[in-house]
Order: sequence, then structure tokens, then C-alpha cells
Amino acid sequence: MGQITATFGKTIKEFTRAKPVLFWTIAWPILWVLIGSYSFGGNAPTSVIPYLRGSIAISMMTFALMTAGIANLPGNIAQDRERGLLPKLMSMPIKPWRDFVGRILGLLAFSSFAVVLVAVVGYACGARFSSTMIGAWQSIGFFLVVLLASAGIGMIIGTFIRNVHGAIMTGVGISVVTASLSGVMAPYSSLPTLLQGFARVYPISSGNSSITYLLVGEDFAGYNPLSVGQTASTIMMSFLIFVVGLIVYSRWCWRKG
Amino acid sequence: MDAIYVENVTKKYGDNEVLRGVNLRIGEGEFYSLMGPNGSGKTTLVSIMASVRSPTSGRIEIYGREPEQVKELIGYVPQENFTSPALTGRENLMYFARLLGHPRRNAEKMVDNILDKIGLSEDVDKRVSHYSGGMRKRLEVATALFPGTKILILDEPTTGLDPSARRKFFGLIQDVKEEKTTVMLITHIGADAELASRVGLIDRGEIIAEDEPERLKTASGLKDVINIETTIKSERVATKLGNFSEGQKVLETDVGYRVYCEDVEKAIPDIVRSLDAIGCKATRIETVRPSLEDVFFKLTERTVREVS
Repeated sequence: MGQITATFGKTIKEFTRAKPVLFWTIAWPILWVLIGSYSFGGNAPTSVIPYLRGSIAISMMTFALMTAGIANLPGNIAQDRERGLLPKLMSMPIKPWRDFVGRILGLLAFSSFAVVLVAVVGYACGARFSSTMIGAWQSIGFFLVVLLASAGIGMIIGTFIRNVHGAIMTGVGISVVTASLSGVMAPYSSLPTLLQGFARVYPISSGNSSITYLLVGEDFAGYNPLSVGQTASTIMMSFLIFVVGLIVYSRWCWRKG
Repeated sequence: MDAIYVENVTKKYGDNEVLRGVNLRIGEGEFYSLMGPNGSGKTTLVSIMASVRSPTSGRIEIYGREPEQVKELIGYVPQENFTSPALTGRENLMYFARLLGHPRRNAEKMVDNILDKIGLSEDVDKRVSHYSGGMRKRLEVATALFPGTKILILDEPTTGLDPSARRKFFGLIQDVKEEKTTVMLITHIGADAELASRVGLIDRGEIIAEDEPERLKTASGLKDVINIETTIKSERVATKLGNFSEGQKVLETDVGYRVYCEDVEKAIPDIVRSLDAIGCKATRIETVRPSLEDVFFKLTERTVREVS
């Protein structure tokens, strides 16, 4: 347990003390919540605007999770390897899986903090959500699904891109591009057919749509992401990416030379 | 029983053979230094001892067991600055103490003791990003000083440290040695290697000589060496000085050259005149005892470290 808590503590401290991490995971989504809340929806009926703002806040919460998993996690892994920490850890009597669990828990705690902050700012900007208690719990589950997929992608990036800046910039690039192409940062209905297909397959965007569906309604999700087939696809794809990331990380990062 | 036993270890990366049948025995409590130039295989060898790499063939035993089985006995300090600059000195040590499975309260006491020992008690709550190179290296050695460590492996710990930081660093190693910890120091700096009780010279994946520092020097047959600081360094100057040196070889240093000859007193005036003749001034010229770097040069005709 000590190994997990040690890695958890280190991960949290490193995340919260790095300005680029704070910017991309917290400040950037909050900035977009502020811009989006007061720029978009000018022609929408007044009754709809709070929910429109709610959908923007959800998108930015998803984006915060994406950057935490896809950019911050690989940056952290690459940094540890670049400065020689991984060889040091390999020489110690510790289990790689405990290091991994500590990192993921640290990521979970930090990104949850970011999500709550974005939600609070969104609420302060007039975002409103309408959901049952069960729907709220289900949406938390989908946030975890988004985080799992993001962490999986992040571990793959962190394993193969050895330079810290390279890993972070690749992560940020993938986050921004896939968020734009898959409807996380744009309405699903405005996407061309091909990208709508991608949005349904990519677990981060389909998870985002599921949360939007649960918290603000189908109109803002653009389709029903909670059908049995779509929900199964979202969860399975997310787990698949996570497991692939986990295998890649444990096999390549901790492999003896 | 040997603390470290290495038998016929080889390591290949594709066609590149980095280690070629290395044999080594290091006794408990011994301070052993492995000295060689970059690319000689010394880091590869110790990273195999530390379970970071696997040998292609051969055997390594730590107290009679495979390194993987006795990781808790080994304190490995890699060459890189592996501590987290975002954490304080105390937080870094707590991280490693907790990784090693020490309960929080015990870990806190241990960390305080270790910080006191390494002379960083006053800077414990500063972030490591504010530490000097010497402080950071001492902190990194401290990560290997938790109770239970019997073998301390230091990979080029003094690279980049100023003379004062180096002295403090070896003061710390002296204290560690008194606790009967076996110390293995990897270096390309002769002055550092000379502090060890036994030195192995490694070149191109093979240990080419091994003994106590003074015996290595005696066995090399080298007598006094002329150490010259020159206003310029060039092929022409080296060739000129080579005329006075055994085998016409001179060792280039950061500030000039080292010349090996039988009768140094007789040679010095001739060397000065010879340099004058080609427009090069000797700003300082002195007779010194041979160093381990000279021994290495004598054996391999190559320098241990790159000169600036």
C-alpha cells in the first residue's frame, strides 16, 4: 500500500506544481466555459440557454479529463524516464503495477478536482443540469470511462515518445484535434457523417455525449448514446484502449534493456 | 562470501558487444572504483548489477544470489538527476522511503536522520529545483542510504560538480564506508577513482587492469610526469611535445598536455625552448606524480575523459 500512496502523492504534487499542467487541465477549460457561456447561443430561447451552457461545461469537463490523461500522464511518464527515475525504480524492490495504480489514482484525483472546478465555474456562469440521482451517478461512471480511455492513450504516448515536451505536445495535439473532430468541442449535429461515425466509436466523445444526454438531454447530445449497443461500445472501447495502454506501458517502460 | 561476484559477463546490442567477458570480485565493505571512458561499458555493467538490464551471458551474484532476488540490499544511484525538482528534499526522500515499504512514521524518522547525515537538514523544505548540483547529488545518494542497503552503486556521481561539492560528496561517502557498506564508484575522473581501495580500469567492455591505486601506478612503470599548461593547443604543439615523451604520445588535458619521459628535470628546459620556437608559451610547467588517468593512457593510448 505504501508504494501506491507514495506514487499517488508524488503524482498529485507534481501535477499541482506544474504551471503548464494547471493551465491545460484547469485554466484552459475554464476559459472556454467563460467564453462559450457568453458567446454562443445568442439566438437560442432564454429557457434553453442554461442547458446550452450546461453542455458547454460538460464538454470542458471532458476536455479537462482528456488533457489530464492524454497530455499530463505521458508528460509525467516521459519526465520520470528522461531524468532517470525509471532505472532507479527498476533497481528497487517494487512492483510495476503498484507504480501504475499510484499514477492512475493520482490522475483520477487531480482530474476530478479539475472537473469539479470547471463544473463550479460553469454553474456560476449560469449552466444548469437536469437529471435524476441515478442519472448523476451514471454520468460519473461515464466520466470514469472517459478518463480510462484518456489514460490508455496517455500511457501509449508516454511509452513511445521519450522526450517530455514531445510527449506533452503530442498529447495536447491529440486532445485538441480529436475533441474537435469528434464533437466534444462542437455540436454532434454539425459534424459530417464520417465524423459522426468517429464520434460514436471514439469512447471519449461518446462518453461525453452520454454525460450530456444524462445531464442536459438528448437535444444537446445530438443522438441517443445510451442505447444498449452504443453504451456497450463506449465502455468496451474505453476498456480496450486502457488495457492496451496498460500492456504497452508495463511491457515497454519497465522492460529490462 | 563476495559482496559482488561477476563471472564472464557479456552484453550485446545487436552486433555491438558492450561487455566482453567481464570478471570481478568485490568483498564486503570494500570501496571499489571502476574507471573508464564514455562507452567503455561501465554503466552497462553496474546497471546489470542493479537489475536494470540483463546480461547476454555470464553470471552476477550479490551475496551469492541473483541481483533480482536481493534488490533490497542494493542502493543504486544512476548518473542522471532522478529526484523530482517539483518536490522538496524531504518529499523526495519520503517518496523513496515509502516505496521501500517503510511505514510513514518510521520513514519520517529515517528521513530526518539521513538528511542530517548528508548535511541537508536546513534545506529540507526547499524544492529540489532550487538545489545546487552538489546538494542534489547528495540527496540522490541519500535515496540509497535507507537501512538495509549493503551495496551502494554510484554511477558517475561527481560529473558536473565543482571541487568544493566534490569534496563534500566524498566526505559523505567516507561516512557511508565506515558503516561497512560496500561502495562501487563508476567514474572517468582519476582523482575520484584514487579514493577507492581498489580500482578496475575498463576499456571497450573489458577490465584491462585491476589493483590498488598505488600498485596500478607502480605496475605501469610510469615515473614522474611533466604537466604543462600552454597558451595554445594544436596538433603541432602535441607533435613537438611528443618528441620528448615515451612512444611520442602526450596526454591532452583541459589546459595543456602531460608528457612522459625518463629524465624530467633534463627535459623541461628543452621543452620550453622547443615550444618557444613554434610560438607557444608554457604558462605553467610542473613535475607531478602519475595519476590513474596517466596509467589508463599508458595502457590504452586513449584518454579516459574528453578534454574541453
